Amino acid sequence: MISKKAKKQIDSWTEKYPANQKSSAVMEALKIVQLENGNCLNPELIQEVADYLDMPGIAAQEVATFYENYNHKPMAKNIIRICHNISCMLNGSDNLVSHLESCLGVKTGEVTPDGLICVKKVECLGACVGAPMMQIDDQYFENLTAKKVDEIVKSLRKEGK
Amino acid sequence: MFEIEIDGKIVNANPGENLITVTDREGISVPRFCYHNKLSVSANCRMCLVDVEGATKPQPACSTPVSNGMRVSTKNDKAKSSQKAVMEFLLINHPLDCPICDQGGECELQDVAMSYSSDVSRFNEGKRVIADSDIGPLIQTDMTRCIHCTRCVRFGAEIAGIMEMGGTGRGDSLKIEPFLQEGIQSELSGNMIDLCPVGALTSKPFRYELRSWQMNAVEGIARHDSVGSNIHIQTYKGKVKRVVARNNDNINETWISDRDRFSCDGLNHENRLQKPQIKYDGVWKETEWDTALVYSTKALLREVIDNKEESKLGALASNNATLEEYYLLRKLLKQVGSDNTDYRLNIKDLSNTINLDSNIKIKDIENIDYALLVGSYTRLEQPMINHRLRKSSLNGATIDVINSMSFNYNLPINSEYILNSSQIANLLARTLKAILLSKEQEIPGYLDKFKVSDADTQLANKLLSSDKSAIILGEHLINSDNSSNIANLISIIAEKTSSSTLNLSETGNSIAAKSTGFVPNENGLDANEMLASKMNAYILLDVYPKYDFHNSVSAINALRDEKTFVIALNSFKDSDVFDYADVILPISSYYETSGTHTNVEGEMQSFSAAVGSPKDIKPAWKVLKVLADLLDLSGFNYTDSSKVTSEAKQQIKQNIEHDREINLINTKGVEIIWQPSPYSTDALLRHSNSLQATKIGQLNTASMSASTAKSLKLSDTDNYLGVPVVISEVVADKCVFISSSNETISEKIS
Amino acid sequence: MNEVCFKNLNEKEPWSLATYEANGGYSVWKRVIKGEFTPEEIIDELKVSGLRGRGGAGFPTGLKWSFMPRNDDGQKYVVCNSDEGEPGTCKDRDILRFNPHSVIEGMAIGGYVMNASVGYNYIRGEFMEPFYRFEGALKEAYKAGLLGENIFDSAVSFDLHTHLGAGAYICGEETALIESIEGKKGQPRFKPPFPANVGLFGKPTTVNNTESFASVPEILSKGGKWFADLGVENSGGCKLFSVSGHVNNPSNFEVPMGTPFKDLLKMAGGIRKGKKLKAVIPGGSSTPVLTAEEAMSMNMDYDSIEKAGSMLGAGSVIIMDDSTCMVEALTRLAHFYYDESCGQCTPCREGTGWLYRVLKRILDGNGKIDDLDLLQQVGSNIMGNTICALGDAAAMPVESFLRNFYSEFEYYIKNGKSMVKDNV
Ligand SMILES: Cc1cc2nc3c(=O)[nH]c(=O)nc-3n(C[C@H](O)[C@H](O)[C@H](O)COP(=O)(O)O)c2cc1C
Ligand code: SF4
Ligand code: FES
Repeated sequence: MISKKAKKQIDSWTEKYPANQKSSAVMEALKIVQLENGNCLNPELIQEVADYLDMPGIAAQEVATFYENYNHKPMAKNIIRICHNISCMLNGSDNLVSHLESCLGVKTGEVTPDGLICVKKVECLGACVGAPMMQIDDQYFENLTAKKVDEIVKSLRKEGK
Repeated sequence: MFEIEIDGKIVNANPGENLITVTDREGISVPRFCYHNKLSVSANCRMCLVDVEGATKPQPACSTPVSNGMRVSTKNDKAKSSQKAVMEFLLINHPLDCPICDQGGECELQDVAMSYSSDVSRFNEGKRVIADSDIGPLIQTDMTRCIHCTRCVRFGAEIAGIMEMGGTGRGDSLKIEPFLQEGIQSELSGNMIDLCPVGALTSKPFRYELRSWQMNAVEGIARHDSVGSNIHIQTYKGKVKRVVARNNDNINETWISDRDRFSCDGLNHENRLQKPQIKYDGVWKETEWDTALVYSTKALLREVIDNKEESKLGALASNNATLEEYYLLRKLLKQVGSDNTDYRLNIKDLSNTINLDSNIKIKDIENIDYALLVGSYTRLEQPMINHRLRKSSLNGATIDVINSMSFNYNLPINSEYILNSSQIANLLARTLKAILLSKEQEIPGYLDKFKVSDADTQLANKLLSSDKSAIILGEHLINSDNSSNIANLISIIAEKTSSSTLNLSETGNSIAAKSTGFVPNENGLDANEMLASKMNAYILLDVYPKYDFHNSVSAINALRDEKTFVIALNSFKDSDVFDYADVILPISSYYETSGTHTNVEGEMQSFSAAVGSPKDIKPAWKVLKVLADLLDLSGFNYTDSSKVTSEAKQQIKQNIEHDREINLINTKGVEIIWQPSPYSTDALLRHSNSLQATKIGQLNTASMSASTAKSLKLSDTDNYLGVPVVISEVVADKCVFISSSNETISEKIS
Repeated sequence: MNEVCFKNLNEKEPWSLATYEANGGYSVWKRVIKGEFTPEEIIDELKVSGLRGRGGAGFPTGLKWSFMPRNDDGQKYVVCNSDEGEPGTCKDRDILRFNPHSVIEGMAIGGYVMNASVGYNYIRGEFMEPFYRFEGALKEAYKAGLLGENIFDSAVSFDLHTHLGAGAYICGEETALIESIEGKKGQPRFKPPFPANVGLFGKPTTVNNTESFASVPEILSKGGKWFADLGVENSGGCKLFSVSGHVNNPSNFEVPMGTPFKDLLKMAGGIRKGKKLKAVIPGGSSTPVLTAEEAMSMNMDYDSIEKAGSMLGAGSVIIMDDSTCMVEALTRLAHFYYDESCGQCTPCREGTGWLYRVLKRILDGNGKIDDLDLLQQVGSNIMGNTICALGDAAAMPVESFLRNFYSEFEYYIKNGKSMVKDNV
């Protein structure tokens, strides 16, 4: 079920588009609903979003599977999205990935046993002059080193407790 | 119009056309997969790339508008090398196992690939495999074969009006699939099979049977509704294997309904009657045709002719016989001396029927700008009419609906009135009054008591102000107390507002029945009168009482009367027929007989038999002819059915005059609208296992509002007339809308 | 340096309305509202300025704006492309973070010129910091009465909204971006019709890059000629170059067009100690790679880079020193296009995967010498046959890497390992 609060948030997006174009808000609506549902979408939620925005379920599903930022499987609380594209690669992102894997004890794509962290390798996030870099939630972390990464993981664990 | 040059040839082109329209018209072959002339252009397959002088890149013929003086090569090195490149890309992930693919032999990919001398594949990276899901009983998927042309996706969004297939994921994990595993629901879904250029979507009932080249294709006419869609019937060794659409832009374009496509599934049902049978002392015995026919004629002589009780002979027919069958049965009776023929078995009160002419061509429906739909869920009842209506709405037409229940329309409805039949009649009356007021014309007495509201005036104005408006009357109101009033009001309103009318209450081939005079004249008895007066003998043409009669209980009782001799011509076994008949003559079903179907615009489309009838089964028209011969009636020496056709056509009655008397009635109590599910309207459909397995085939609900339920002391765990109750506020008050594929267990219409 | 989009970079809170206005911001917009400029004058001024689209294709902005049917009735739209996803590119992010009002003012002026009363800024979904900054600036602008209906009681109205992406590089392609604002998958549309005729919600639409819009106010304030003179012939003005990779001081630099590459490299702190320049991708991952020699003799403007064998693109300069394995670098780029192909058209959907898989096989030590021919042919089979330019973008690196560094690929295939790593 989409909560009242979420519906209100969705409404604030639909207002931006012409009245018969509610479906323009589908990308944000899916994000809002995903966040409410523990960082994960499911077919029923997607259908509900579609119904709420007067669009066919399959059209919402198309959107939910086309864009990178939707999860269809239960996810960790924190997703570390580490860029491994060219500028970051040139600046050692591969080493950082290995470093993260070994200090978390999981491979990329897997969730730590406490459900707290998952590492995803992603394509360019548009911060190449700050390579290597990664993103957690809304925040970018740039000019990373192994030491910086350790600190970030540490603080995630602290907050997570 | 200007000239362009294609492959050195000067041809004419119209501004705004795409190149492929011109090459197609000129017979210049350009390969394509995603392009389809009835769908929007998507230009995604890139197969149609051609070389346009002046353009650095090759251009897709399907989406390149022509321009004056354009010079195009479809076959030079540049064009060919692009086409070859695309072909290779299409094949790298496509299975190369045509011999075991269901589409083998009619695969557009295979055809095109052949003409691009296939090199040894340079792709060694492992092919993509896609897991399939079950999308319903009609369509088999094999999505590993999909080439992502998106024809099926566009079909859903543009033609079916419900987007069911979509492309999920992206890049090379793009997958064409429906959502939520509910399967495909559209009543037009089978067209996706025709559209799919490869073997990704194929016919499930037909799976793994045959190659297309092994089959014969016979031109045919679909007879399950009053459209008469054009079809190809594909046959093999005397059996109907598959039905596909045949293009006719005046009627069905390139589409057909699932009902027309998959009904043939029922032909081989074990319930088919195989041999004539005679009931001796209550026991049925199979017999030879000669014996059965002689037995039948003797009975007719004995029961009606010899004792000069000709008026005690009746003939009843279902509404899906052929024009020829109606004509011959009527002629037979007439020559014997009886006028008792009728096909209107499902009408409670035959003095109160719908008489409304249709005066719009099917193809013109898409050009109207306003439609008022009364008592119809066209989408399921007449899918191809609905398709035109949808097109009109996409072209900007406004559609208003007056129904007793709200349905899942696939086109935008402007205003929807949910009313019971008395309220509908009153609304139409007020609208007529508003029209007359606005035209400052005389108000007839029966409108005196009505007060016109602003809403009524608005409705009137829409009809008055539209250039091309149409009023469409469906089949829901055939048994209302105001049937004839409603039809007459519509016909007057249409006249006053220069609107067209379309009467969709005549279903199957009933327009042919009417036009051959199969309805009794003043000397004859109608169906209800026959059943009420003890008849000596009946000839019943493909009648299945529990489905066909509005009151099957009393009908069966009348027919099983000991003193009544019943000759039943049927194609399928039916326990009630075994119960009341004295002789059963097994007749050919759809596709096994020649004949003529008359559609709602009066178009008479003749067809020949696509296959012979199984041994010991005979076309009804021949059976009737032989019966007549054996009775020594004259004028029945037809050598083939086309002779019957031309004779019948000469005597066709057109635009029968009806009186337009209006006498509005206020219905009391709860009103029942019984609508058979669209897949149970004739015996062949009821025996098509694939159709019966669909959601539409399994419709079984008695919908009513909470207050109606309360007044009937029902809850949603109860059954009403044997059908599960559904409480729903989209049903008019004091109205029960039954949508069911079941046979009735009692009176349908209380 | 830093004369246009980065003009206020060193100010305190350069993103605030106060800072922006203190440095002359919105003065052009106010004059526009007063009716001091006609749309035609603005278009002419832009034409004189030589401003070319900063999103990658380099199409003259003034000319583009003139294509809009401004005198036709009905809704029209201006759209800003802040989807910035091309590997190597990160300049729009900084414009949004540090100078959001220039984008707002540029879009408002564009709206006025093209008679479009509504604009959308499409910001990629990951750019949340820039999104909040831009939203903050929008709020300020609305509050100051600079946006909305009948601005300062004039006949001019302009509403501006942000739309957020959700992770798809292809949405940077302008028609995919339009689809995305419509709430659909970001699948590019085929052209014609062009957005100027049938764009967002079926209405005439112009899409420009963030930097293009951000440059407009300063151009109109100082004059087209002033801007043109900053640069060189055919490449007017300054341009933001994102210099990343193996340099000591990777950063965004706003420098005049025509600045020698050598100088830009110096500004970025030069190559890391002990290493030599090996290769440069001058305009973002889609543009052909150049050898060190080719790069060192070129200037940073459209014509010069083209002469060197590549393209200016979005001005995203990726520097690779001699420790770089070109097989690995190309595989990484190929993976990117494979991952980001929208999937609708055959050559790109099938071809990008094919390229990547062959390269990956080579990288895993299972390459065959024929693979190099195959890569080139698959690349050229994609080239020019697709709906949008992503297909070309995927093919171009393959062609240029193989052309310029063939022996390294050969070595890798023969030895099952990298020549570079071998030498280290
Ligand atoms: C695959 C692809 C990705 C693109 N990504 C971007 C982008 O991130 N930002 C951008 O401004 N333009 C991008 N473009 C270019 C746009 O299509 C368009 O040309 C540009 O936004 C026009 O603005 P301009 O004329 O101001 O450069 C991309 C083009 C392609 C083919
Ligand atoms: S080239 Fe690639 S990204 Fe562009 S439309 Fe075709 S499949 Fe989509
Ligand atoms: S038929 Fe033209 S691109 Fe598919």
